[in-house]
Amino acid sequence: MTIVDWFFVIFAAVTLVGAYRVVISEKIMHAALWLGLTFAGVAAIFFLLGADFLAAAQLLIYVGAITTIIIFGIMLSSLEDLRGKFGNTLWQRISAQFSSPRRGAFALIAAGGLVVSLIALILRGSWPSARPEGLAVVDTPSLIGDAMFNRFVIPFEIASVVLLVALIGAIALAAKDEAPAANGEEQPK
Amino acid sequence: MTISLPVILAVSAVMFGFGVYGALTLRNAIRILMCVELILNSVNINLVAFSRYLADPAQGQIFTIFVMTVAAAEAAVGLAIILMIARQRSHIDIERINLLKW
Repeated sequence: MTIVDWFFVIFAAVTLVGAYRVVISEKIMHAALWLGLTFAGVAAIFFLLGADFLAAAQLLIYVGAITTIIIFGIMLSSLEDLRGKFGNTLWQRISAQFSSPRRGAFALIAAGGLVVSLIALILRGSWPSARPEGLAVVDTPSLIGDAMFNRFVIPFEIASVVLLVALIGAIALAAKDEAPAANGEEQPK
Repeated sequence: MTISLPVILAVSAVMFGFGVYGALTLRNAIRILMCVELILNSVNINLVAFSRYLADPAQGQIFTIFVMTVAAAEAAVGLAIILMIARQRSHIDIERINLLKW
């Protein structure tokens, strides 16, 4: 185990504990803060995998923006959710859901079965044992920029249109309806 | 560096499982959005790991950027929809938003 491996173990543990607490936390505010920690852990994993540009983007977009937006969204929750009504451990939460079969057994079987079968598949597969050498130090920003504006230029344009449409749609949805009518006319009713 | 690919894939699979379990059981719409973000992040880990170990490094990372774009759009539109629901009903409990259920 080199020191990079130990760092990977630490950051993977941080990420997984964060993800666990996002689902398990009693209070929604705690869940949002654990979500921020999980995003930071994912950024560290990106960095260890050599994707330094993506690590920076992950920190900026997820830890910076999305966590903040979600904390704003918490204002909309009811008081019951802010305080929490289930227990704070995995078993307490799972057993609290068992009153309805759809939320108890079905969700447990779906999520647990998915993870077990995925890990079984991963163990059965034959993977390259080590990453190809020669990729040790790569200038990822210029590599990404070159590929994005040559080979992936059409998806890039479509993604930007998707983002624009989503932002306009979000503003249109969230805007209040009682805006004054255009060209200074009387407001209807 | 001896981190092997299956270990990274297993970490991301467990994270995916947490996200799926949360999205299926939680009742608050904001927390479901958080769990969807968890799922998308675990997919991003997979993409970056594959691009590191299998193909050329640019391809998987560009897909990750596209996933991030779609995730940002999803968060914006999702929160706007939740805001509308909260304004009309003053709660965001998805168990009680059942107008289209049969």
